[in-house]
Amino acid sequence: MDWTAIRLLYLSELRAALRERSVLINGILIPLLMYPLMMWVMFSAILFVTARTESFASRVEIAGLPAEHRSLLGRLEEEGRIEVTEVDAPPAGTAATYRAGIEERLLAGELDAALIFEATADGPQGNAAVALMSNGSSDQSQTARGRLERALSVERSDWLDRIAGQHGLEGAKWQVFEVESSNLATGVEMGQFLMGMMIPLFFVIMIANGCLYPAIDSTAGERERNTWETTSTLATRRIHIVAAKYLYVATMGTVAGALNAAAMVVSFRSFLGPLLARLGDGDGSGFAFELPLRSLPVLLLTAVLLGALIGAAMMILAAFARTFKEGQSMVTPLYLLVIFPVVVLNDPSLEFTPPLAAIPVVNVVLLLRQAIAGNLLWLQLGITLLSNAAAIVGCLWLASRVLRVEEVATGSFEGNLFQFLRQRLRPAGGKA
Amino acid sequence: MSTIQVEVQGLSKNFFDQARGEVNAVTEVDFECRSGEIFGLLGANGAGKTTTLRMISTVLQPSDGTARVLGHDVVREPVEVRRNLGFYSASTALYPRLTARETLTLFARVNKYPAERTKDRVEEMIERFGLGEYAGARIEKLSTGMKQKVSIARTVVHDPPVLIFDEPTVGLDVLNALDLQKGIRELRDEGKTILFSTHIMSEAERLCDRIAIIDKGRIRACDGLEGLRAATSHHYLEDIFVHYVTGNDTPA
Repeated sequence: MDWTAIRLLYLSELRAALRERSVLINGILIPLLMYPLMMWVMFSAILFVTARTESFASRVEIAGLPAEHRSLLGRLEEEGRIEVTEVDAPPAGTAATYRAGIEERLLAGELDAALIFEATADGPQGNAAVALMSNGSSDQSQTARGRLERALSVERSDWLDRIAGQHGLEGAKWQVFEVESSNLATGVEMGQFLMGMMIPLFFVIMIANGCLYPAIDSTAGERERNTWETTSTLATRRIHIVAAKYLYVATMGTVAGALNAAAMVVSFRSFLGPLLARLGDGDGSGFAFELPLRSLPVLLLTAVLLGALIGAAMMILAAFARTFKEGQSMVTPLYLLVIFPVVVLNDPSLEFTPPLAAIPVVNVVLLLRQAIAGNLLWLQLGITLLSNAAAIVGCLWLASRVLRVEEVATGSFEGNLFQFLRQRLRPAGGKA
Repeated sequence: MSTIQVEVQGLSKNFFDQARGEVNAVTEVDFECRSGEIFGLLGANGAGKTTTLRMISTVLQPSDGTARVLGHDVVREPVEVRRNLGFYSASTALYPRLTARETLTLFARVNKYPAERTKDRVEEMIERFGLGEYAGARIEKLSTGMKQKVSIARTVVHDPPVLIFDEPTVGLDVLNALDLQKGIRELRDEGKTILFSTHIMSEAERLCDRIAIIDKGRIRACDGLEGLRAATSHHYLEDIFVHYVTGNDTPA
């Protein structure tokens, strides 16, 4: 092997690629910045909306508030930013008219929510049916409803406790059907679960994205720029030229995948973690986004494997194209083919079994998911390595056979890989 | 005493074209080129000049026959052939995103010019072709004339004894074309063997020491200009060319 020529050609491909805006954007900037930027925008937008909603002063009308529930007004005052208008219960026979009036004012935006108490004959003093009316299409009305529900819930619970106390019962004794839920997963485990669902998916997409432009640029792009013939006059074997190009494509894919995974972990920690804490119970104990150290070698390994496999497959397809556009139309189906099973199989209940470990690309996604969760299944890891290595060798073998054909190497073959294979596999004498 | 640097014997190229069927692009072409001479392949468009030169430069494989460059067979020792050859044609463009200096360094190194002397050689080429001001600029930013100069510099940077120029003046203005011809003559004077293809009679007349007239993939005549004149009784190359290609003598 002429390693000097391979190294020189590889470095010159990389240098040229890093001066090309499309390569920089697709292979480095998007994987590196897209997720932090997306999450930052999402984080800012959600915080902005939340802050704006929280600053609304809710205009609330309460009708027929029984004397036993006067404490509700204190609770609403504690809730803050609620302007309460208290009115008497509508006289008998006018309830429907009153409700219609409330509806009208809610829809017109003159009122954000209304509480209508209707005393019931049964039960203890203060027992009432409460109607909570709001307009679901208005943010302000939704906020007012939330505030009323919280205050009402506490009021109801306290009133029931008071009534129970009058009968000599403590709340815990009469509320026998209590549901206590607990989550056994730690914050780290929950974070790893979420990262395991999302990182592998985008990892594959970014590696395919990282390979796409270089694969087309180094084959069809060379033909379009008339540099293919220049390259083929270099004093080294053609296989060395192809090897240098292949290493360049695989490198770009691997780098895109690794950068994307790193950017995603940082984004999860810096944006998603604080956001989930804020939207949840606020104590920040929900999710913790920590990547187990032992998953890093697996992540790097899978980036290399996928970069090498997708790069090889894309180069074979693009080798038949004479223009960049032709290259795009030949390679795009493979891009979709790679991404489709990853999206479809992104099911958390899917178990990483040895048979699944034999399917290239899918196995990498499942392996990575397990690794992020801190589990390393050695048998599956071995099968994954073997199956991807076999697929890479198969692709490279096919590429060496294809590029040995002069019409393909010089770009005079009219057709794609499948037409080429059909033509070559046709029995002798069929080419008339 | 000049030595034979390029030997071509019975060189043929056939290929299958979907529109035209089996095409004999080049048929049993024979010629030799010696050191320190400019050997011209003169033919109309589609006569087989480029295909012949591409086979000699190992870009295409011959269907039949042999070609040797400094004794190295183009099929069996393509890397050795390319190492001793500089190939220039209108279809050998430069890498747009590399600078002139990077391009020359790459070609010198991959074509096995000694690593320790590459830097000096590249600077020598930059000076010789007047690229100094633009050596650090990307090729895509250069004018057509400057690109042409970089192309020739990358063809000769590894100091090959044999140079192939396939219709090098196509698309050039008169001044650039004359400049290029001057450069080719200088290379010949340095002892290089030069294969030069053209369909421009005046260019072949001015530049070539020997001329092979090629038509429909076959060599119709091969001699110095004086020899061709004597053989056809025509003075102008244009008339000589018509004589061999059409078989008729047309009035000059």
